[in-house]
Amino acid sequence: MNEKPVVLKIENVKKRYMIKRIEDKNLNKSEKFKKGLKNFFSSKSSKEPFYALNGVSFEVRQGEKVGIIGKNGAGKSTLLKNISRITEPTDGRIEFLGKISSMLEVGTGFNGELTGRENVYLNGAILGMTKAEVDKKFDDILEFSEVGKFIDTPVKRYSSGMFVRLAFAVAANLESDILLVDEVLAVGDTRFQKKCINKMLEIASSGRTILFVSHQMNTIRQLCDRVIVLKEGKVIFDGDVEEGIKIYNDDSNIEKKNHYDYSNTPRIQTFINNHSEIKTLDILNSDNCIYGINDPIEFNIHCKTKKENIGDISLRISIWREDETPVSSFFSKPFTNINTITDFNVKVKIKEHNLAPGLYRVILTLCGNSSNKFCVDDMDNIYPAFVFEILNKDGTSHQWARVWGNSEIKDVDVSII
Amino acid sequence: MRKTVIEPNGKNFQYWKDIWNYRELAFNLAKRDITVRYKQTKIGLGWAIISPIVNMVIMTFIFGNLAGLKPDGDAPYFIMVYAGSIPWGLFSSSVTTTSSTFISNAGIMKKVYFPRILAPVGALFAKIFDSLISMSILLVLMVFAGYFPTWKFILFPVFILLSVILGMSAGLFLSAFNVKWRDIQQAIPFLISIAQYLTPVMYSIETIPDKYRLLYSLNPATGAVHAFKWCIIKEIPFDFTSFFIMLAWIVVLIPLGIISFRKTERTFVDIV
Repeated sequence: MNEKPVVLKIENVKKRYMIKRIEDKNLNKSEKFKKGLKNFFSSKSSKEPFYALNGVSFEVRQGEKVGIIGKNGAGKSTLLKNISRITEPTDGRIEFLGKISSMLEVGTGFNGELTGRENVYLNGAILGMTKAEVDKKFDDILEFSEVGKFIDTPVKRYSSGMFVRLAFAVAANLESDILLVDEVLAVGDTRFQKKCINKMLEIASSGRTILFVSHQMNTIRQLCDRVIVLKEGKVIFDGDVEEGIKIYNDDSNIEKKNHYDYSNTPRIQTFINNHSEIKTLDILNSDNCIYGINDPIEFNIHCKTKKENIGDISLRISIWREDETPVSSFFSKPFTNINTITDFNVKVKIKEHNLAPGLYRVILTLCGNSSNKFCVDDMDNIYPAFVFEILNKDGTSHQWARVWGNSEIKDVDVSII
Repeated sequence: MRKTVIEPNGKNFQYWKDIWNYRELAFNLAKRDITVRYKQTKIGLGWAIISPIVNMVIMTFIFGNLAGLKPDGDAPYFIMVYAGSIPWGLFSSSVTTTSSTFISNAGIMKKVYFPRILAPVGALFAKIFDSLISMSILLVLMVFAGYFPTWKFILFPVFILLSVILGMSAGLFLSAFNVKWRDIQQAIPFLISIAQYLTPVMYSIETIPDKYRLLYSLNPATGAVHAFKWCIIKEIPFDFTSFFIMLAWIVVLIPLGIISFRKTERTFVDIV
């Protein structure tokens, strides 16, 4: 078979950032002041190198649709930024043929005061199109965006849906040989998202080369014919889509065990107020967190309050599929009201979860009095707290097709009438 | 298909070609700046006329009447001060806008690649457009005062461009430091408001005693402002010293500015 030419070649690309040393946190005030003074006068400050990309190499042939996956901080976005020339690599070499355009975020450079039409031309120019090219594409853009007669209205008066639709329409109609896409498909309502994916499929089938970064494994499955898995700035897998997704999932799952200690687990600090925390968790009714399809799931959590008079405490349990698709959640009533700094234990039994066979992750959140408001007064959040697997009665998890969803509907009456 | 190579330290030979490919962007950015400014305003472009005229009236009253500063040659004071503020305004806004390019455009620049230099160039096109409006007001004022321009008037585009190029090259040089230390952004407006008094905007260069003339002319804006006034005002000698000092500044600042800007644009998104 005649191999297509290589259009993108990444050779041993490294990207170094200088970050502050962590031990600085533990210094007392006068030491901090001395250090700060020293840093002010010397260019060598107390920073250490961090490699966001550490020797990435691969080649992409014309027409390939490559998915790039990896955990947060694996270097996916940094890689796209280096390829699209937003920033420069510290080491290595990138070579490509033709024109690269990137959809790193739709709507970049849109100005609220300008009309839709003016913004289309401005945005087109920012993305490297000439006026003649935008003229040629204008009708397509207008039709795709479904903005219609509002095209001559300032975009600040658009609904947020109209805004992203127009922005996506401009970016999707770019003329380029290689397209870089970073999670932009999550725009608009479900119907428009579907339209976006179809547009991407259309671009893909037109023979253009696509590099696609996403956390949505289903979108990766739909769009890509090859997957590159990044971990800590390195390529750990390059090849078949399903195999890559499996490696990614295995890599991001935590070990299945019966006792978990969260004292060193990192939290996303912006979402929580730290008024109380989850210390440890014990699985009660299973070894290795494997359950039959109708088994209850039981565990104990050990918590500690860190502040007085924090009022009601309740628990939110969210269950996600291993590919990070949210599945379902449980919101407890406030179960305790603690006014001193103390430890407490909570016993949880999930009796009917209705989950289909497969691998799941559990996210535990300690909330204030409103457990069903996202991030309002969450005290602690552990993601993922633990991972469990649901098996069919015959001990496999394979007889459930993915297209059947993630839960089994129980208690349905069906009869011939 | 065109081949692009990206290597560390800016070994990117397509740079100048890229600027050409993206040339329309500068005009689009200028158009945006101009349209956005007058959107949702009742008198629109009228603001471009009102503010310089009010400014001129106040300066004429305070510096011309109260302080008794002397105009150049035979020109009425208000014509001279209005003429002087055009190149000065262009120079100072060129320095300010260009030096803060990386900060004010960080939002776009973190998401999309385009030759970064087009951002200040676009902004300065808009400023030049403004100065053309000021020029037409100046003409009206001159006719109104019965002080008609001579053939020298048609040379004004040269001096307008020189003011912009001077300001921009200084701004390009400063932009690199502005990314690292925001002190620059605080210092520039402050220095510029002082420098206005050290530049012959509100008085004639002849006011400065001969022994301080050379020192005074080291200010690059002196040459730019005086040369511009020369093409408006009839009886005024062309001051070659300050003009050539300004040209020397441009010759030095352009390569320095471009080198410093190029060096910064490659990785500034990691810092900003």
